[in-house]
Amino acid sequence: MGQLPYICELEEQGIPTMVVDYEDQHSMMRSNALKFGVPALRFVAASRTLPGPEDAARLIPPIMDGLTRPLTEEEKKRGRYAPTQERVIFEGTMEDAEEFFYQTKFIPHPVNAPLAVYTDGLPVVLPSEERVRQMLTGTSHKPDDVITLHADGRQGKKGTEIMFLPKLRTATVEKVAINAVMAGCKPEHLPVVLAIAESGCGIGTTVFFSQWACVSGPIVKEIGMNAGVGMIGPGCPVNSAIGRSYQLMAINIGGAVPGVNRMNFGSPFNTAGTCFAERVDGLPPGWKGLNEEHGFMKSESMVLVGLATGGIYGAQFSPGGYRSLQRSGHGGVARRLGVKGVPGPHNWLEYIIPDIWAGREGGFIFVMAPEMAKHLYDIGFKSKDDVYKWLYEKSFEPLGKYKLRSWPDEAPTQGWTGIERTSGKHWKDLPDDYMIPLVSSPTQNCIIIAGGDEEVCLEIGGGRFIPDPHEIDRFGATAYSIDAWR
Amino acid sequence: MAEKHKFLSPIGIEEPVETVPLAPRLNSVDGKTIHFCVTGEPDITIFLERQLKSEYPRVNWTVKKSATPTPVRLTEEERKTTDAVILAVSW
Repeated sequence: MGQLPYICELEEQGIPTMVVDYEDQHSMMRSNALKFGVPALRFVAASRTLPGPEDAARLIPPIMDGLTRPLTEEEKKRGRYAPTQERVIFEGTMEDAEEFFYQTKFIPHPVNAPLAVYTDGLPVVLPSEERVRQMLTGTSHKPDDVITLHADGRQGKKGTEIMFLPKLRTATVEKVAINAVMAGCKPEHLPVVLAIAESGCGIGTTVFFSQWACVSGPIVKEIGMNAGVGMIGPGCPVNSAIGRSYQLMAINIGGAVPGVNRMNFGSPFNTAGTCFAERVDGLPPGWKGLNEEHGFMKSESMVLVGLATGGIYGAQFSPGGYRSLQRSGHGGVARRLGVKGVPGPHNWLEYIIPDIWAGREGGFIFVMAPEMAKHLYDIGFKSKDDVYKWLYEKSFEPLGKYKLRSWPDEAPTQGWTGIERTSGKHWKDLPDDYMIPLVSSPTQNCIIIAGGDEEVCLEIGGGRFIPDPHEIDRFGATAYSIDAWR
Repeated sequence: MAEKHKFLSPIGIEEPVETVPLAPRLNSVDGKTIHFCVTGEPDITIFLERQLKSEYPRVNWTVKKSATPTPVRLTEEERKTTDAVILAVSW
């Protein structure tokens, strides 16, 4: 977030500071303060519930005390934080190792429960040296190669060393392979897991974050991923193991711990990990697959790594209701669209737009069954870009209504002090009837074709990464090459 | 007797960090320049700013606000004349 590095920098320059945080975030703050070299940083906790004036009055004495109270001997100390970095973490029998890797640690408020130290809470495949060696046969990269960016992107220039949030750790290929073993992966899955690792496996700290990944390209068939029905659910050992490795990397490499630095409810997407595949044979003519959409060739494999920062929606209509709309113009969907009695194809997206933005603005990942994409094609959307343009145009709402949303108070408007992008004018100079897009740009939305014959669409909030500092979804879905990690 | 194995650590790599002491505290805030760095949505920071200025009129208060968690940083020049910083509210 930039707060702690800044504050630590000031302390190092001899400027005393006081930081106001919340009590339940102390361990996250302490951990970050240590990471930035000032472990004794002084904090005071604001209340989450006291009325503002009362809390401010309560906070002022400890703030001023923190700026003037002489330093303790502990606070005057210089030192070195050097965590142990042993390669072998346990030596013993398989039975003893099971116990070791299944150990828990009690996390106090706001969790108040024991949580797994090395796992997602379920038993893992034990990462013996032999198994990890075998896993490493899945890539040509050396075990001690550091995970770096293979192309310029969200995290920086090609070659940038990847920092895994929240503890800003780094990883080698071997570290990723260890987590892949634990997740139940096979060596042929490792390039996908390494590509996901390139994302840094970021987590949300104080908001609802769901981590997901979608694989596109020839590797989907090569390794037996499920792009059909149930692709996001349980059943496919490849989808499940790769999705789980994403979570284990967040936990083990990044150091994510609920109640310590992962402060939200959690997400069902993260429980066992979520990875699925694109169904390239379901793309309508002329529609690009995810790989081509992101600058790769059809013959290349890539993974779209996503962070759903908004809601996850679906099942707004029944599959039978959908068929009634398209085959005979019957049912509620047809009535809402004003096509009662008129057989399709009809633009079914009209049914879920604009309500999809009722609770949260921003881009969405639309995961849709092939038949539904074909209907869009048949009514004139000859490319995904045509759909993106239509969705963008549908997202506009009057400023007066936009002001009643929460997130615009933050980055999108810079607290209403910034410039509105479509007009080039200050937000405060615009009339309430000025139309504001709820999506930053057409390609912030993204379509993925997957699933089977059942007419289902899933919308994952968060959209695709757009390089814009005013964007609420600063960590939107980003593409990484899998072939680079083969 | 069961065979023993070596199991590898899945934990990410942390570089050692040289830790430094806190900056010396102020003897008194009177006549000092204290910077109030506001981050995030305005909430208690509105009242904090108001009450700090009211209760400590002999402090030269400077304020920078960001609507996001990323603070608006003091320039190197401004740091030369800043005696202390309060940041609120950190996430």
